[in-house]
Amino acid sequence: MAVDDVDTPEIDTGESSEPKVTQGTVSAATTDQAGVAGFVGAWKSLATGLGITAKHAFTKPVTIQYPREKAPMPERWRGAPRLVSAMGTTEVPLMEASSLEYNGLIADAYATDHLAPCQGNCPANVDARGQNYHAAEGRWVEAYQLVRERNIMPGTLGRICHHPCETACKRNFYDEPIAIRPLHRVAYEQWNPVKAQYVKPLPKTRGKKVAIIGSGPSGLAAAYDLVKLGYEVKIFEKEDKPGGALYYGIPAYRLPRDILHGEIDDLVTMGVEIQCSTKIGVDISPEQLMADYDAIIIAAGLQISRFPGVKGQDAIGVRGALDFLKDSNYRGEAGVRGQNVLVIGGGNVAVDAARCALRVGAKTVYMASLESDEQLPAHPWEVEEALDEGVVMMCGNGPNEVLVDESNHVRGMRLQTCLSVFDETGRFNPTFGDDFTELSVQSVVMAIGQGSDLKDIVAGTGLELDQRGNLPSDRSVFTTAVPKIFASGECVTGPGSAIASIATGHEAATSVHRFLSGESVSDDRVARTLLAYDKYAPANLDHVEPSRLRAVMPFSDPDERSKDFRNVELGLTVEEGLAEGARCLRCETNICVGCTFCARTCPDYCITVERRDDPGDRMVTKYDLDLSKCCFCGLCAEQCPTGALQMSGQYELSFYNRDLTLFDKGEMLRDVSGTRATGADAAADHASKGETT
Amino acid sequence: MTGYWGGVVWGLGAGVLVGISTILGVWGERKVAGHIQKRYGPNTAPVFGIFQLVYDLLKLLTKEDIHPKQARRGLFNIAPLFMTTPIISSLVIIPFAAGWAPLDTSIGILFFLAVPSISVLGVLFAGWSQRNTYASLGGLRGAAQMISYEVPRSLSVLAVVMLAGTMQPVTLMGEWRIWWLPVTLIAFVVYFIASIAELNRGPFDLAECDSELVGGYFTDYSGIRWAMFMMSEYGGMTAAALFGSVVFLGGTWPLSGVLGVLVLLVKTVLLVIAFMWAKWTFPRMRPDQLMATSWKVLTPMALVQIVIVGVVIAWL
Repeated sequence: MAVDDVDTPEIDTGESSEPKVTQGTVSAATTDQAGVAGFVGAWKSLATGLGITAKHAFTKPVTIQYPREKAPMPERWRGAPRLVSAMGTTEVPLMEASSLEYNGLIADAYATDHLAPCQGNCPANVDARGQNYHAAEGRWVEAYQLVRERNIMPGTLGRICHHPCETACKRNFYDEPIAIRPLHRVAYEQWNPVKAQYVKPLPKTRGKKVAIIGSGPSGLAAAYDLVKLGYEVKIFEKEDKPGGALYYGIPAYRLPRDILHGEIDDLVTMGVEIQCSTKIGVDISPEQLMADYDAIIIAAGLQISRFPGVKGQDAIGVRGALDFLKDSNYRGEAGVRGQNVLVIGGGNVAVDAARCALRVGAKTVYMASLESDEQLPAHPWEVEEALDEGVVMMCGNGPNEVLVDESNHVRGMRLQTCLSVFDETGRFNPTFGDDFTELSVQSVVMAIGQGSDLKDIVAGTGLELDQRGNLPSDRSVFTTAVPKIFASGECVTGPGSAIASIATGHEAATSVHRFLSGESVSDDRVARTLLAYDKYAPANLDHVEPSRLRAVMPFSDPDERSKDFRNVELGLTVEEGLAEGARCLRCETNICVGCTFCARTCPDYCITVERRDDPGDRMVTKYDLDLSKCCFCGLCAEQCPTGALQMSGQYELSFYNRDLTLFDKGEMLRDVSGTRATGADAAADHASKGETT
Repeated sequence: MTGYWGGVVWGLGAGVLVGISTILGVWGERKVAGHIQKRYGPNTAPVFGIFQLVYDLLKLLTKEDIHPKQARRGLFNIAPLFMTTPIISSLVIIPFAAGWAPLDTSIGILFFLAVPSISVLGVLFAGWSQRNTYASLGGLRGAAQMISYEVPRSLSVLAVVMLAGTMQPVTLMGEWRIWWLPVTLIAFVVYFIASIAELNRGPFDLAECDSELVGGYFTDYSGIRWAMFMMSEYGGMTAAALFGSVVFLGGTWPLSGVLGVLVLLVKTVLLVIAFMWAKWTFPRMRPDQLMATSWKVLTPMALVQIVIVGVVIAWL
């Protein structure tokens, strides 16, 4: 009987389970029998069942007993979306605070370490976000000065920089990047007339002297930093005008000379001394430099053009790109008037050489590069401008032989198709095809690369060059084998951009300052940020309002401009600059700027943003986040450029009232004049219902 | 007035007892069910998994109080109270120690058989007030079942009352002799089975059968109100086991004092485990089988038992 089983559990030990089960089924069959037999049989089957379960209860479970462990929070946990800050508050009621207060908050955010993508992607970490912020408010002088802290010549770089900042600009993701580089130029043009009241000689407080060899971007950057620190700085330049590659290498149609020299003059006014037409190793011996100065920075750059080593390359009419550019830029005459010119190379120097050749009177200019047109190392916008001006591109062709006439003058060039430029290991190792092309040209310009010429400079200093003529040096702190000699710029890094050279100049100046202060050059030194930034696919601009698009840079007419060295880019107006600055999204400030991209991204239409967007009075006025419609997809937070909108760590439903989880037509169609920005507290909820707390 | 305050105190005490027995009961049920199915049951929460139920209780307490839109709110709200209050009240006549009960009354046995039956009203109220077909069906089923099983249950207890010659639980427990156990064995079995049916527990859980009626008469309940239904189930089981121990198994016998209380607790716990054992062994019955068991098997068995006891008394 059932109760007996409880008190006397022998039942599960008495017999094996097999006959029990059999007996149970037999008994079940007998329960239909009438009378005593059926009655007893029914009770026996009940006892059998109880016996089986009791037996199970005392056997070892077949499941696994898991160890107790605390469940970790998944890394990409998503609670409710939450607006971290707009006007410094998480509740976003109808905001009536003045734009000034808002701007103050933005300015405070700049003081913290929220590195914007534009700033992080710039080799010199130029604060482009700060520039845009000032530009939007029309404070051009402040914008210029802010940029100059890291980019010593904003006017110059505003015309020639290859702008990695714009590549990283988050606005790429939405429509088009901010015109950061043209804004440098606008800022310079507003600064230039009033600069006299800002540019003043800086005091020399340290009593130590630094010599810098080379007045290119790297040398000037180092000089600027050191002068600001109070050192006495003297730059030695072997040419008769300062500027280095900016002056001799970059054509005047991209960089007018008065701009460059105006900005160099500012540096001179501040206290940088520049001695031109002085070649180290010829006019002044390196030993004397060592004796006279406490530290020396070699920023000599790249002076010689490399040649490919083909037959006939020593013929008359073949020359290096640097010589060619120097002649064209400096004298406006390169001896190619009326000739057909072929430029060998696919980099920016080659494009410059080709475009200069047109301007000094060449009849037809060809440009042959090993790389296909997809892989050209030159910046695409420069290639495009060159094509506009009539340069004939012959991509995928390598030099085979320079054809010469009896008097060893160039009469043509034979090109060979190039199949691939790099081998599997990524090394430069071109393979050529069997197709040959012969061009009838009278001049060939080799623009396949540049090298440094430092023999004279290092003679007698104790420094030694390696087999290829390069100066062995540290690429992060820019020291050399001799303690008081530092090296920076392209003679260390190889061919690169102007802004990268400026960055090395800043670093070298820091090293010099540490060295002269008696500190270790490398200890406790924070490495410059080298972050990886998103690559953006080309934006689809079909449905973007014109007011949101980037200001279009006006160009001079290609047919006219290719005849002389007039400006190609004509620059933005101040009004365009103001609008452009206002397009900036203030990335990573953690303060909502009311860009409305969250509202545009939201698949459930639960975000409503309203803002004032007038220049000088730009702020978010309403932010409505309707969590009753939110599906927690996280897209809004994923794309928020400022990081102000985040997914909170809350449990998904922890903030819900029951009425919010149900679809309520009235609620969904409500007037969004009230806001419910977060689920963080009830106050916003009450506010949305018109209740005061 | 002292009687009033005494009632309040004993009511609160019994409420706490029911609460604790619910926590331990649900834990024990999951453990017993687990082991019968060769599983472990709750085991990761602290103290052999008991805290699992504490967490559950906290969750239930903090859940939102939901009312179906169509429900009769008044009835809906008080129905759980009609379930738990009679159970808690009935505990007051149980002699927890030899010679002592919170309420020592000469009709204690009748009180215990009568008062918990009021929870039939709770079942009907709950089933009706939700305006839900499942719930109404469950409520009607539950009411029919509980009323039917009152008969064999009362008759089974009558056998012991005849032997003891009293309906006062304290006196009955004092009169109890070990030879009563074999004599009243049939009555005990009938009481045990009828109690399961009274509590709407498996295999007699037709009223709530989860797979067809989705919880039956408490389909639309949630949160703390739902927890009160669970309290009535586990509290009722504890009360039935206590009463069964006192009436059929001699209560504190063979010891007295504090040890006697422990003996009573051990007997109660074993009976509760037996209730769970039965639930996890037998499949649910059909309604016709349920009624047939009551009227054709248990009631005749109880009557036979009364005859046996009558013969024994005459023979003594």
